[in-house]
Amino acid sequence: MAYQAKDRITSIQTAVILANTMLGAGILTLPRTVAEKTGTPDGWISVIIGGFLAIAAGLIMVMLSKPFRGKTFYEYIGQITGKWLGSLISLIVVGYFCLIASFEIRVLAEVADFFLLEGTPSWAIIMVFMWVSLYLVTGGINAIARLFEIILPITIFVFVIVTFFGITLFDVDNLRPVLGQGVMPVLNGVKTTAITFTGFEAILIIIAFMHRPEKASKAVIVGTSIPLMIYIITVVMVIGSLSVDGVVTRTWPTLDLVRSVEIEGLIFERFESFLLVIWIMQIYSTFTMTYYAASLGLSQMSKRNLNGFLYGLLPVVFLMANIPKNLAGVFRMGDFIGNLSLYLFGAMPLLLLAISKLRGHKGEGISRK
Amino acid sequence: MLISAAILFLQTGCWSKDEIEDLSIYIGMALDIGEQSKVEKELEKQGAGYARKKTMTFTIQIINELKGGKGEKTPAAEQKAYINVSETGDSIFEMIREFSTRMERPVIGHHLKVIVVNEKLARRKRMDQLLDFFLRDNDIRPSAVVFISKSKASHTLETQSSTVVPAFRLLGITDNQYRSLKIMSPVTLAKLEGKMHAGMSYVLQNVVSAKGEVAFSGAAVIKGSSQKLIGFLNEKELVGLMLLSGQGKGGQIKAYHEERGEVISYEIKKLESKINAIVKNGKVTFEVEIETTGRVMEEWTPSELEINEAFTKQTEAAVKEEIEKLVLSTLAKLQDKYKTDVAGFGQRLRIQHPKVWEPMKKDWDEEFSQIPVTIHIKSKITEYGATSRR
Repeated sequence: MAYQAKDRITSIQTAVILANTMLGAGILTLPRTVAEKTGTPDGWISVIIGGFLAIAAGLIMVMLSKPFRGKTFYEYIGQITGKWLGSLISLIVVGYFCLIASFEIRVLAEVADFFLLEGTPSWAIIMVFMWVSLYLVTGGINAIARLFEIILPITIFVFVIVTFFGITLFDVDNLRPVLGQGVMPVLNGVKTTAITFTGFEAILIIIAFMHRPEKASKAVIVGTSIPLMIYIITVVMVIGSLSVDGVVTRTWPTLDLVRSVEIEGLIFERFESFLLVIWIMQIYSTFTMTYYAASLGLSQMSKRNLNGFLYGLLPVVFLMANIPKNLAGVFRMGDFIGNLSLYLFGAMPLLLLAISKLRGHKGEGISRK
Repeated sequence: MLISAAILFLQTGCWSKDEIEDLSIYIGMALDIGEQSKVEKELEKQGAGYARKKTMTFTIQIINELKGGKGEKTPAAEQKAYINVSETGDSIFEMIREFSTRMERPVIGHHLKVIVVNEKLARRKRMDQLLDFFLRDNDIRPSAVVFISKSKASHTLETQSSTVVPAFRLLGITDNQYRSLKIMSPVTLAKLEGKMHAGMSYVLQNVVSAKGEVAFSGAAVIKGSSQKLIGFLNEKELVGLMLLSGQGKGGQIKAYHEERGEVISYEIKKLESKINAIVKNGKVTFEVEIETTGRVMEEWTPSELEINEAFTKQTEAAVKEEIEKLVLSTLAKLQDKYKTDVAGFGQRLRIQHPKVWEPMKKDWDEEFSQIPVTIHIKSKITEYGATSRR
């Protein structure tokens, strides 16, 4: 029996899943990657533009999915492109989700090894993490959605408090002048910032589970705005505190901002462990969602039970996570994923949408419901 | 059931734990030019040497855990609250790991608060090289504060008292910034990183020490291009710099009454300084507006002088003149002698005229020394404290 999209999630849950999938490894490195590209303190403008691009891409995907109500991308792609090409694209998308999943846990292992659990072998960190995720995914999309609903408010709450403490280091002069070198530096940074929003493509899959898919556009907008806000705050606070020149040399600038602050008189003097906790929760949610999306793809393509693929993919993802030889390799892997995402989910949906319109898929799905 | 119970025994809790009792926490670090301590020389005689250049001696201050344990009345009165140990070598990391061969508890840097660099070392070695390890290490936090010492740096981490921890004392003094203009805002590694990478010049607080006592005395000027120490600002010049850059949080200015020459002590309650970069026909000039408001807290003028508007005007003028003197002497030193900008003029030009700044930023220190600066000062007296009339 093939896995069918039986479970239903609300539009709020959809937005939450999207936000959680987008927030991931990037938040610790974003200020550096942006500052490297822009070279000016205007990175936050790039973040805003990148966010809007992500919203636009997400809306295109919603439009693409519209005629095929209750179906995931894997199920309807064949109807747009034909069976063979559709399977190929689905396979690439599955591979892409696997890549993200393995990238996320690899970054987790790197950071945990450097800042948290020095000496604990990374396979021990990764495996425990993957098993817990497996446990959640076997519960289906509803279990995922409900857990994500718990994670997101905690993330926002802790994040706001932790960055708020950074205000002692904040200096507006580090963010000025605005657009001092014109618009070009900002545009240079847009690609980088757009990439940090990868994860919005999850809408291609979860839209099939939506109780009321007509609200998908709203869910995309809300779901993207949350990470957008968090990213803006991150870039503004980190560059504002450490200055552009101080940020580009740091490997994990966001963590360094929090490590640079000590608050005396409170119960806790240091807050990086809090930031790391929410960060790990976000990695967990991104990993879970992409891992689920990949397994679901295989299951729907082969029309076999999902559980088998869940167990089968786990070692594959683990091995993929071990491909990069060093930290530089990990970051290159991240860049590769970002570029892949630009083509797969920036350009391709537009193309598919055009084909779909030509073939007159309008409303067909709705009538079938 | 049995299996799950058996598995429980495999749950080890922490994989790579280090009990805190088994670690030495170092809180302060002093870097001096290479000069081996007696113990070290003795050890080396016994053959405990390794390949290294003896360019640096560094001293770490470790919290003495034996002291201040559970209130037992041991003769701990003689014991100090800290232990200082030194190593000589040319790599800080190597020296730190060297302690593992000398002490039963390995040292960890999670709680490093202050780093003191000796003047002579800072003149010879680049700051970014000296501090590289601290910024790279995963234990040491970028919140550690950096000082320069004209005396031997390790002496600033010593005291005669058994209760004072010298590293905390240094940190504590920086908290008094609101009371004196001679104290700079603490320069942490986090703040330094950006300046070092941008090749900007900066100042670091200078600490001097004698017989286990310390005093903050002026500041050391580090030139951006060479990252080396090139000179000092004395205490007065540092006050001038604090006024100029508006960094000061409050403090006291001593002026003399114009006619009588008696002391008038003025406490700054609010200090505002604004640097304006003006570009005209491609030429850059700076205008600085300094505004202070405060109160007179001590004055020795004879009692026949009444405290009235005229007196206030006179006093304000005296204070203003004093501030002007301070600021101008600092500016002269920065522009003429050191040819470095540590007051943030470059920052203002970068913000206000980014296009003009871009070509100038490479040789900014040189350019800055040629740029005319005009200064406008306003000093207001709001009150005369609890004594209002004579």
